[in-house]
Amino acid sequence: MSTNSPEDLLVEATLGAWRRRDRDGLPMPPAEWADLSDAGRVRAYEAQLLARAWERALDDDGLSGTVHAVLARIR
Amino acid sequence: MTEVDELWSRIPLDGERAFGQWAGRVERPVRLYLRPWAASVDVECIVQEALLRMWLRANDDGAEPLTGENASLRWCCRVAWNLARNESRKRARETVTDPQEMPEVSVGPEEPSSPGLRQAIADCVQALGAKLRSALLARLEDRGLSGDVAIAESLAMTKNTFLQNIVRARKQVAACLGGKGVAIEEMVR
Repeated sequence: MSTNSPEDLLVEATLGAWRRRDRDGLPMPPAEWADLSDAGRVRAYEAQLLARAWERALDDDGLSGTVHAVLARIR
Repeated sequence: MTEVDELWSRIPLDGERAFGQWAGRVERPVRLYLRPWAASVDVECIVQEALLRMWLRANDDGAEPLTGENASLRWCCRVAWNLARNESRKRARETVTDPQEMPEVSVGPEEPSSPGLRQAIADCVQALGAKLRSALLARLEDRGLSGDVAIAESLAMTKNTFLQNIVRARKQVAACLGGKGVAIEEMVR
């Protein structure tokens, strides 16, 4: 198994669905997202797609962390 | 009327439950639709905000009804696209390479995951070592409610150790799924 690269860790830090909110209540990217190159951001996007697919598959309600985060926001 | 249209129409009556089911069918298509913005914005933020705005619209008695097949999905894609464009401008990152035209919405609703995929992922997660498994499961089971620092602390790990473990866990699960014949590439397209 290969060693984790610095970019691996930056990408991973963007994969959770929890997001800070700004003063207007809008979700904000994790700080690590700003440290990624454009190519790294595309990689993070694809890793988010994969992470959400795993979450949906394992969740009893078939929902991803994204949907759960939004549901928590409207409650 | 498609299943997504049916779920959308039930939201004002059934509330969060119907919305959750609707959002579960449209989240991935909306995310895929935003691929041209992947280098400019954090798509996760955009998808969450678009879904939230759709919740508000579904409960707005004064909003014009959405008509046509999968109209709510197509509308959500447009909302998300505009949010991404606005966010890119706000961050002063808009360049000539940013997408200028909003493309037709050609993506359809997401089908529910298969029980076979669920079992395969569960088996691969179970095969991880204890630390890697606990890190990955903590993230998966948190359902987007906590930041990484809080999750890491709940496992008595630093954030860096947590991230190191979860990256290794994902790599091992991906390799395991590949060994079971699961096409990882198709999950990101």
